[in-house]
Amino acid sequence: MEYVNPLTGFRVDGRRPNEMRQLKGEVGVVSRADGSALFEMGNTRVIAAVYGPREVQNRSQQVNSKEALVRCEYRMAEFSTGDRRRKPKGDRRSTEISLVIRQTMEASILTHLMPHSQIDIFVQVLQADGGTRSACINAATLALADAGIPMRDIVTSCSAGYLCSSPLLDLNYIEDSAGGPDVTVGILAKMDKVTLLQMDAKLPMDTFETVMELAIEGCKAIATYIREILLENTKQLEYRRG
Amino acid sequence: MVGLSEGEKHFIRGGIAQDLRADGRTKLQFRPVTVETGVIPQANGSARVRLGATEVIASVKAELGKPTVLHPDKGKVSIYVDCSPTAAPIFEGRGSEDLSAELSVALQRCLLGGKSGAGAAIDLSSLIVLEGKACWDLYIDGLVVSSDGNLLDALAAAIKVALSDTGIPKVNVSLNAETDGEPEVDVSDEEFLQFDTSSVPVIVTLTKVGKHYIVDATSEEESQMSSAVSVSVNRRGQICGLTKRGGAGLDPTVIFDMISVAKHVSQRFISLLDSEIAAAEAVMDE
Amino acid sequence: MRDLHLPLNQTQRVRLEAALHELQSLAPAAASAASVTVADNIPVNQEDNILKGHGTSDHDGEVVATLCGVVERVNKLVYVRTLRARYKPEVGDIIVGRVIEIAPKRWRLEINFSQDAVLMLSSMNLPDGIQRRRTAVDELNMRSIFEENDVVCAEVRGFQHDGSLHLQARSQKYGKLQRGQLLTVPAYLVKRRKQHFHHLEQYDVDLILGCNGFVWVGQHVLVRENTESKEDKQKLSDEVDTFTPIETRKHICRLANAVRVLSALGFTLTIELIIQTAEASLSSNVEINDMLGAEFYVQTAEREARRRADLLRKKNGAR
Repeated sequence: MEYVNPLTGFRVDGRRPNEMRQLKGEVGVVSRADGSALFEMGNTRVIAAVYGPREVQNRSQQVNSKEALVRCEYRMAEFSTGDRRRKPKGDRRSTEISLVIRQTMEASILTHLMPHSQIDIFVQVLQADGGTRSACINAATLALADAGIPMRDIVTSCSAGYLCSSPLLDLNYIEDSAGGPDVTVGILAKMDKVTLLQMDAKLPMDTFETVMELAIEGCKAIATYIREILLENTKQLEYRRG
Repeated sequence: MVGLSEGEKHFIRGGIAQDLRADGRTKLQFRPVTVETGVIPQANGSARVRLGATEVIASVKAELGKPTVLHPDKGKVSIYVDCSPTAAPIFEGRGSEDLSAELSVALQRCLLGGKSGAGAAIDLSSLIVLEGKACWDLYIDGLVVSSDGNLLDALAAAIKVALSDTGIPKVNVSLNAETDGEPEVDVSDEEFLQFDTSSVPVIVTLTKVGKHYIVDATSEEESQMSSAVSVSVNRRGQICGLTKRGGAGLDPTVIFDMISVAKHVSQRFISLLDSEIAAAEAVMDE
Repeated sequence: MRDLHLPLNQTQRVRLEAALHELQSLAPAAASAASVTVADNIPVNQEDNILKGHGTSDHDGEVVATLCGVVERVNKLVYVRTLRARYKPEVGDIIVGRVIEIAPKRWRLEINFSQDAVLMLSSMNLPDGIQRRRTAVDELNMRSIFEENDVVCAEVRGFQHDGSLHLQARSQKYGKLQRGQLLTVPAYLVKRRKQHFHHLEQYDVDLILGCNGFVWVGQHVLVRENTESKEDKQKLSDEVDTFTPIETRKHICRLANAVRVLSALGFTLTIELIIQTAEASLSSNVEINDMLGAEFYVQTAEREARRRADLLRKKNGAR
């Protein structure tokens, strides 16, 4: 299959190799949560809701009471993928992604400022079209900022791959299932530090570096977009308040 | 859900008795309803319904399958509901299983008819592609995104709107003699058949608090209920299903009265939904 | 935005945009310029010994924001004032909370903070009103004062060593709240003022604006010398006779809906604004439940834009 057209250079969905899908982010979509956000990357659509910081519900889960306990659950809706999965929650992939999101966000949340409390991050995938992990992390960042939870930095994530001898930014489902490598990167945008790095399949070292650099570029672009959304939201809340 | 103090419960009961609920509604008023279609583009049909702070999404996906041996002339429909933890922290992990199962079963009872398929809201024989060989399997999935009471009514409304938004691709079947009677099915990308949802019922849940019944209870009001009766009514005023929840026993005359109240209220609700569906279609045609 | 997600038609949408636009133009530009997001640099003069306050942190010698909000500078202190966030308590705040648990000699209350607050038995008046030492019998009778899920009004006394709050409810005006409804609004919409209890005589309604974002709207309760809780319980169970009278209930619902609409629009809640909104709904003959509808929502936004414009004009005219 021609993932990159040799004549035009366009991908299957008409994008250029280093072009990201259409982004859309919105805060405040779940009114009952302390913070919430919707994030879309192309057809991948994800909602994140944050409850907390609040009193720890289950003392046995608390490892270090001097820091906030961060918990995360990732769930996919039955209708989110093309082929319906009978058990969309509790399976190993969901457990793994829940762990990944939690660890990534924990690296940024200033947990020592909220001792004896817990922060719950719930991510619900409405539509999955590749890059769900990244969309979830981006949505979680927006939701945490919306909830007023102090963080070191804005965490963003993006994926990149390598097909038909070109590095491709932000893979969709078709490209992801092509069997080529898939590199997911999560960064602390301002500090320029990588907090998440996952890859499957094989890549020679220098190609890997190129693909990772591309994913990092994608992350930075998303960070700029997220920052705009948050700034606009803050300004709006402030002028409405009076 | 957060518990309520005795004083607050007393206030709620008083409000219902005096026909002035906490948000100013009378006993038989619904909260503002918002309807959107096509929220899940990957599905054949989808809708989002907001009833006050309750928000649910329903999606309809159609896949080709084989009809059962017992009913070779009918397609299949399955309904499944999930409560997202984004709606409430107690829904995380397996916390939502009981509620999801209860909602799924109640919706199945109202929409799918009896075991023989009789009385189903959707004409199952319209889903058949080739008798005995191929049919459409409809997968209806509901997701609760935000919860503030009356989930059943919201889900039923969302399913009705999603079905009206559903397009089943036209299929060309050719029986290939060489492949031993297995048909070749060519699914069209262009032409779609829209569902006729005029016979799809809505569900109106009447919650009994003290001596009175209310429609569209918030989660605070639901905590006060002695029992609840959910009645599924279609546009012709026919009862398509009935579920009673809650421990308190009800006098049969009370149940009849609740059913007639539900019928009356449902007509209003159906008109409201139909006008929202028409408005959504108009927007799409633009 | 965190709206009530109302179905607005085209004209209503246009009117709302116009009202919000006017609110934006009326807001002081300085606040908008001082808005920051997470990881933004806060410009400081390096020579002054700037105290880094809440919401800031040090990164490579630069002051960086850890929260989204507005930068405030008070003398040498620089901090970020958050908008949507959990309640930030201060000693002396009047708050409304809900009892979550009864523990030995204390109640735990949920108050929209990162931890539950503690109300000691010794910080609460006994039912018989006598000032004496709390005995073991008192401990066993804690439920007769407050039970689980009771709504309580109290004052912040101080912080415990683990960061949670200590409350006290010694004065007569604090204590259990009954016969009404509790609303939750974002804490930043409740400004700290001299008075948080409002007895609205014209309506016979008590309105309490808790600094933690819990707002109580209920029937006025006479402050009694002896809080006879047993009598209360009996009264409540007598049902029909003791229901809140319909006129008072109408006022309670109107005020509660006014609070809901104002908090959905993101306007600071002051008692004057709440009363104005409720009065406006009465004078425009808006049905109580229609106050939560699209039309009143837009009208309230327009009304607020006019009010702030008038206020600004008066201020400028007075100079």
